[in-house]
Amino acid sequence: MLVNLDPHDARPLYFQIMEEVRRAVVVGSLKAEDPLPSVRELAAELVVNPRTVSQAYQELEREGVIYVRRGQGTFVSPTVKRGAGERRSLAQAVAKRALLDARRNGVGAEELVTMIQKLAAREDV
Amino acid sequence: MSGLPESFAIVTDGLSMRYGSETALDGVDLRVPEGAVYVLIGANGAGKSTAMKVLLNLVRPDAGRAEVFGLDTASQGPQVRAHVGYIPESHEQDYKWMTCGRLIRHVAVHYPAWDHEYAAHLIDIFDVRLQRKVATLSKGETRRLQFVLALAHRPPLLLLDEPADGLDPMVRNRALAQLAEHLADTPTTVVIATHHIAEVESLADHVGVLSAGRLVAQMSRDELRRTVLRYRLEVPEGWQPPPELRVTSMRRSRAGREVQWTLVGEPDDVTARLAAAGATVRDVTPLALEEAAMAFLAEEGAP
Repeated sequence: MLVNLDPHDARPLYFQIMEEVRRAVVVGSLKAEDPLPSVRELAAELVVNPRTVSQAYQELEREGVIYVRRGQGTFVSPTVKRGAGERRSLAQAVAKRALLDARRNGVGAEELVTMIQKLAAREDV
Repeated sequence: MSGLPESFAIVTDGLSMRYGSETALDGVDLRVPEGAVYVLIGANGAGKSTAMKVLLNLVRPDAGRAEVFGLDTASQGPQVRAHVGYIPESHEQDYKWMTCGRLIRHVAVHYPAWDHEYAAHLIDIFDVRLQRKVATLSKGETRRLQFVLALAHRPPLLLLDEPADGLDPMVRNRALAQLAEHLADTPTTVVIATHHIAEVESLADHVGVLSAGRLVAQMSRDELRRTVLRYRLEVPEGWQPPPELRVTSMRRSRAGREVQWTLVGEPDDVTARLAAAGATVRDVTPLALEEAAMAFLAEEGAP
């Protein structure tokens, strides 16, 4: 699993970790019953407070994305879905970020959508 | 956790200290929760190192008192120091004539909790060459040795003064990763003093901001995120902010009729005050940790 954190992102770090795990599930790089790195491993890898990783894992467990097998570690839930709903919420998160960024730069929503469509129509993007 | 009364690893009340005409600390009330990674931010000379030295009873404050795990630092200095792993700001290491190996053994006997197996692991991770004389170590090599000495007895409190100073980026990352692993294995409260918050911000869960000896902010990362926000406002020509907000306003920029302020306070309350004063809040955005913390420092220099 590849987790990337952006320290300049205003979203809390635990939330960024949650999003990364969700993203890995949606794109299929994490599948049902796949093991996740331990809190210790991921904390060292990302150089974050282990509590931050624990918090992310606890929230993901509550959402049913992952589960803990006592003494064995943390795994992706067997029932995890990669359906339309998950894709939609991923798309929503991306759109939200773009919208926020646009607003910060004084770009309106319509202007943003038009520009995205224009860029998407070009082949080199 | 929430609901339970918080217990503090470090409590100071009204710490003040002057070096001649220089104010090092000015009425500092530190509250470091047990188990926190507390990053103490401030410019060079803001008082960070002095605060740490007071906690270790290496210097005596002119006024105020400090407790570490309930121990009074002034009267129980040795007991306090036994609970602390300390990386000093200075790269000057005592016992310069010793080899690194001998120094490590020398320090180890002072700590009943010294973990020899872990020490060997740390020596490996930090690439400390045991035959080298301490006097011949570079700045970075001394820092790496100091990391081994501070961590190997798994103290309940780590006081790290500019821990990344002198380390190249690769080693710095390895050192901080090791620290993260250490925290996963050992319940520890950590205070990191730094003027370079970006280096350690991913570890921080509490922040204190020192400016010219005064603790101008102290809060959890969550609270900082919730209460220090950037407000984009549309205001009429010649608009002046309500005076009660002027106090908390810290940074502003102006472009035409739009102003952008970083304000501290409960967002609902701030928004209501702005609206009452005739401003339209266009946008409220949270800030990254470094930006939010820096906002408190900006206040000092602002006209």
